[in-house]
Amino acid sequence: MTSGIVFDVREFTLHDGPGIRTTVFLKGCPLACTWCHNPEGLDTAPQVMRSPTGDRTVGRPYEAAELAEILSRQAGILASNEGGVTFSGGEPLAQATFVAEVIDLLPGVHIVLDTSGYGGKDAFVALARRADLVFFDLKVMDPLAHRRWTGQDNAPILRNLALLADLRRPFVARVPLVPGVTDTNENLTAIAAAVASQPTLVRVELLPYNRAAGGKYAACGRTFLPGFDEDQPLNVEVRPFRSAGIEVRVA
Amino acid sequence: MNERLENLRARTRDGHFRRYRQAHGPDLVAECDRERLSWPRRMARLTRRLCEAEQVVIEPDELIVFTRTVATVPAVYSAEAEAALTVGRTLHEGGLINNVCADWETALGQGLLGRRRVACETRARMALGGNAEAIEFLDAAIETIDAVLALAGRYATEARRLDKVDVASVLEHVPAKPPRTFHEALQALRLLHAVVWLSGHHHVGLGRLDQYVWPYLASDLEARKLDIAAAEELLAEFFIALNRDSDLYPGIQQGDNGQTITLGGLTREGRAAVNPLTWMALRVTRDVGLIDPKINLRITGETELALLELATDLTRKGLGFPQYANDDVVIPALAAHGYALEDARDYTVAACWEFIIPGRGMDVPNIGAVSFPAAADAAIREGLADGASFDAILARTDAEVRRQVHERAIPYDRLLWAPAPYYSVLMTGALEAGVDHGQGARYRNLGIHGAAAASAADALAAVRRHVFELGDVHPAELLAALDADFVGHEGLRRRLADESPRVGLNEAAVDDLVRLLYDRLADACEAEEPQSGAIVRPGTGSAMYYLWLARGRDGVPLAEPVVGATADGRRRGDPFGANLAPTPGTRLRGPISVLQSYATIDYRRVCNGGPITLELSDSVFRDGESIRKVALFVRAFARLGCQQLQLNALNGERLGDAKVHPENHRDLIVRVWGWSGYFCELAPEYQDHVIARHLYAAV
Repeated sequence: MTSGIVFDVREFTLHDGPGIRTTVFLKGCPLACTWCHNPEGLDTAPQVMRSPTGDRTVGRPYEAAELAEILSRQAGILASNEGGVTFSGGEPLAQATFVAEVIDLLPGVHIVLDTSGYGGKDAFVALARRADLVFFDLKVMDPLAHRRWTGQDNAPILRNLALLADLRRPFVARVPLVPGVTDTNENLTAIAAAVASQPTLVRVELLPYNRAAGGKYAACGRTFLPGFDEDQPLNVEVRPFRSAGIEVRVA
Repeated sequence: MNERLENLRARTRDGHFRRYRQAHGPDLVAECDRERLSWPRRMARLTRRLCEAEQVVIEPDELIVFTRTVATVPAVYSAEAEAALTVGRTLHEGGLINNVCADWETALGQGLLGRRRVACETRARMALGGNAEAIEFLDAAIETIDAVLALAGRYATEARRLDKVDVASVLEHVPAKPPRTFHEALQALRLLHAVVWLSGHHHVGLGRLDQYVWPYLASDLEARKLDIAAAEELLAEFFIALNRDSDLYPGIQQGDNGQTITLGGLTREGRAAVNPLTWMALRVTRDVGLIDPKINLRITGETELALLELATDLTRKGLGFPQYANDDVVIPALAAHGYALEDARDYTVAACWEFIIPGRGMDVPNIGAVSFPAAADAAIREGLADGASFDAILARTDAEVRRQVHERAIPYDRLLWAPAPYYSVLMTGALEAGVDHGQGARYRNLGIHGAAAASAADALAAVRRHVFELGDVHPAELLAALDADFVGHEGLRRRLADESPRVGLNEAAVDDLVRLLYDRLADACEAEEPQSGAIVRPGTGSAMYYLWLARGRDGVPLAEPVVGATADGRRRGDPFGANLAPTPGTRLRGPISVLQSYATIDYRRVCNGGPITLELSDSVFRDGESIRKVALFVRAFARLGCQQLQLNALNGERLGDAKVHPENHRDLIVRVWGWSGYFCELAPEYQDHVIARHLYAAV
């Protein structure tokens, strides 16, 4: 039996896939996007968040069976309401064995894998294969810029993206629109080019930057250093996608 | 909402119509004493004199008229005489019939002249039998009918004088005769309803408006006298008018006035009752966006999703309604408690959440609360001090619940209603039998609410887990910590609060105790035998008790016990959850597990209502897809077999700002317990509680 570290299990998450869903947030992420709004999901280990209402330990280990049991108790409701379970993070690929084991223990329920795409090929294949739908983040296409803003190379991400066709897994490409970083016409055009030929692409979703992103850093004992001007106007540009014949939504 | 309606709405919110209020109302005691009037005749005289004192107000853009100009309700006895009259009796909330629903269908369908004929026929019959009491009642009732007809006549005359032909011709016909049109039905209802308020009654519900008004709308639509837009405009004007005098209506806080409407559900014969007026009423309340009328929607697990989406769109407005009731559960529960099946199908929702029968009910749905936390706390403290087993602690909790139910019910053996001749005109069978509704109504049961079950179950579950199963908390240590309000015992408090099963997480290890508490409450209610064959109906609401049972009621004596620190790690004074809601501060996963926790209750045994109460951030409602998901969630609530649901859309930032800058948020409406009110008009402790609930919902 595998165990994993989860920092939240949240019900009725409306923007994490179809129908009524429950989302599992896996703790720990190999990326360090400067705009990350879930800083408590970055470190793998449980940590204490401090706030005026008291300290709270975030993240706890679950045995796969224990988590599957909690989710199974509501699986019937999720399934009969067009929904299911979403695995998000943090980064689920970083705990792929655990996540796969949880999914295998669930009764037939719709699974969404919400991933940055950054992870080993085996991990990605293991989880994508078990998912009914993949939410695949695409942030910055230029490799150097990607490294600068997320701390990692984007080559593994693009390799995993290319696997979706062979896996025949439908996916939604999700683009966080970060002012001056990801929202440039050049970057959006490159993203459109990267997904346009993907046969299983469902649509692209643009997620406008949320000014609340830095809200939880102090409680995590971190400093929010976005490295870009949060106040500059956002370039919510759908044309690169539309002109490539791609369905695009602004969330 | 066209310009005329926007204008009416703005004038209503601005208090424009208050300019017509008279500085003084009539004084009745001297007159009543001089004429040595009986109590029923005094109450009729009250209605009559107030109708006579009303000054006619018709503004140029009104199609549905009546503006209250007499702001006070005078006494009919001197204080001493009233005390002598009522000595040793229990007067519920002042003693005037309240929190019931009239038989509006019959009142409209017969018209006041029709009701008058019934009264006269019964009077003739009673005269033959020499029944003086019945004659007294019927004469009083007839006096009130004549008073309302005279008031309507004065309105008609003034409308004629102003050359408002449409208004005049309506008022020359209703409420004397049965309405011929939708417009006439709404005008009749406005006047009949307003005079109930005028007569001093409170929590005056409007019941199943979409049922009893629909025939008039249907025939107008069929005859092409009216199109949907024109009908919506009339309905909107009627709804706006309900907000005109509401500052005069007594309640715990402004907004707590019980002007509820119950939509949808089943007919008395058991057919689906949703009709185009059901949809229209939801649309119009959404567009009007005022706190009255408060909407209840009866649904089942099979209710059309589109209707639930429309209702969710109304929730999105942040008015705190609709509140949902699940027919699949409510009707069998009422039937199991002695309500005839056709009456059970005809239920409406009282001021807050209790299920009552229009025209036939004279239930007192809220005689008080049972404090589950106090019952569990007494049992835990005594049991741990005695070295009792956990089962023995449960048995003591049960005994304490029985004791509280009995204490609350006893005074109601001496319940006394003031005569209500006018309200009786509007009730089923009162004129026909010659008996005032307060004495003759078919259903005269009492309702009691089991409050704060989550906190009690949490406390019991924490004791079971830590004292009896793990053995990591010593009874003496826990007792000392409770006595010290956990000061110096923070580690223990955290263990109890954070490392115990909690209601709202769908954990059998505590949800079984919630069910048990309500089963025991139902047993305790069944054991009561109030006079006159009434029953005591157990419920799941809390009303204001979620604060009062935790902190007392600011200087006002409270019959219910106030509890200190509790074994769930709650400190003295911390509030409980409102109605069926997890204890504030519980780390929840979300609303699905909350529904599942509360789905364990055997709702056939608790028929007095009391909703699962959930706050959702208003960001949840931002697009059509999300609206659909909320609608699915509401349907899931019904399919799980839960009884009643109150969803509130809250925006935390706006609430916080409204507390600091009320002038910028005059229109902000929130649901407080069973009713909605303007946030800026709430007392600070209620504002704080609403804000705290939101913060906890957003975690």
